Amino acid sequence: MDAVVRFTNQSQGRDRIFRASQYACALSTYLLRNNSERKGLVAKLKSLESNMSAGRKLLRLGNTVNSVAAAKRTIQLSDRVLCLCLTAANVNRALYFLLDNVLWARSVGLIRDIDKERWSLNSSRCYFLSLVMSLTRDVYVVLQLMAQRARDKHFRQKMEVRLGESSEVAEAVVPHLDAFLFLLLESLKSHPAVALDMLKNACDLFIPLDRLGIYKSNPGVVGFCGLMSSLIGIITLLEPKLTLKP
Amino acid sequence: MESWVRFNSQSQAKERVIRAAQYACALLGHTLQKGGAMAELNRTVSQLEAHMSMTRKLLRLGNSVEALEAAKKAIHLSDGVLRLCLTISHLNRAMYFVCDNVLWAGKMGLVSKLDQHKWSQRSFRYYLFALILNLTRDVYELGLLIEHQGPYRPSKPACSPIPRTTLSSPSTQICRKLHLLMTVLYSNPPLLLDLLKNSCDIFIPLDRLGIYPTGSGFVGACGLVSSILSILTIVQPWLKVKP
Repeated sequence: MDAVVRFTNQSQGRDRIFRASQYACALSTYLLRNNSERKGLVAKLKSLESNMSAGRKLLRLGNTVNSVAAAKRTIQLSDRVLCLCLTAANVNRALYFLLDNVLWARSVGLIRDIDKERWSLNSSRCYFLSLVMSLTRDVYVVLQLMAQRARDKHFRQKMEVRLGESSEVAEAVVPHLDAFLFLLLESLKSHPAVALDMLKNACDLFIPLDRLGIYKSNPGVVGFCGLMSSLIGIITLLEPKLTLKP
Repeated sequence: MESWVRFNSQSQAKERVIRAAQYACALLGHTLQKGGAMAELNRTVSQLEAHMSMTRKLLRLGNSVEALEAAKKAIHLSDGVLRLCLTISHLNRAMYFVCDNVLWAGKMGLVSKLDQHKWSQRSFRYYLFALILNLTRDVYELGLLIEHQGPYRPSKPACSPIPRTTLSSPSTQICRKLHLLMTVLYSNPPLLLDLLKNSCDIFIPLDRLGIYPTGSGFVGACGLVSSILSILTIVQPWLKVKP
């Protein structure tokens, strides 16, 4: 119970639980949309989802400063690719939070004459860019890990054993692809933090892709991806060594 | 900026800031109504207040567990009075949070046919009991400190320039006691802050339960002051009264 208290005491922990619930409601609403007997339940889920979304917008009010502070930290990284990717991601996230705060002010009636749709699209664009930069960083880290592994003598022995014993036709026909996939999977297995971060960003990406109309899926897919990424986020908070650093 | 990031990362800190904003809105709404402002502005302010109240209820969803954990810790205190006051206060707070969660579920529409007024009154009653116990603890601590300070009374009390032969005068005694009280409180800022905070907070359930109605403006002001004091104790942890 102590761990639960410590987890929920963190603002991020609570926000991720709310996010997971919000997307779980969205997914359930989509799955039950054609079920005429559950109209009452669907209405309750919709109300819960919209209230959680509104509540989370209020709770995000201070996060621009957090992202700017993170950008100030990442600009000092020695690795130039990481520095570029992470700083760009943090700056875009800061812009996203800023636009999100304006949308919150619009929704409570503090600001009246702004084009809600335009501001919402712009905030989705910033979010999309920050996810693209985060994924670029993940791919860069994975490539670095793969290069490191390929140089490792012990691994090369393992690889030769595997290539030698592959009697199946498919593996023998495309040995380079097989070797590449083997290297990739081994690298990901040895660094679960990168794999989780990549999966989380990939799931998150479907949300702005759908919102911006670049790759229209359906609310069910968006709900499922949002739920998956929130659950991964909760896991990385509970197990700090599964968080990718820097 | 670093201190803001640290502050922001605590869930309780965010909740206190939203509480301060909520009661500021309540105070502002009352002032605007008195001043005869436009209905639209009044509506915006009251909508904002309701939105903040709902978000705080959402944020408080897990707090009964926290209060129970605090009660479990308080039950091991050595001082009997403190042990009693704090444990029962935390248990009352846990019950207040449970009632609050039920109210949130009712407002969401998750629980149909909920008597909102009844549950609201119930939650305020638990809140009032918890505040009374907190104030009892504050007064007890104050009493202990005055007892310790008693033998070291200053030889020249500032409020009585008259000679010592007129010690038995009741006004001098009251003056001396007040001076002692002020000295003790001034040298113990955590206790002073906690006492002020609980005294401000107590007007909220007293008004809502109809025991001592003061009006929304006064309640808003008290809520705002107690939220600011509470934010101070989060920003400067040494100002938090222990245990």
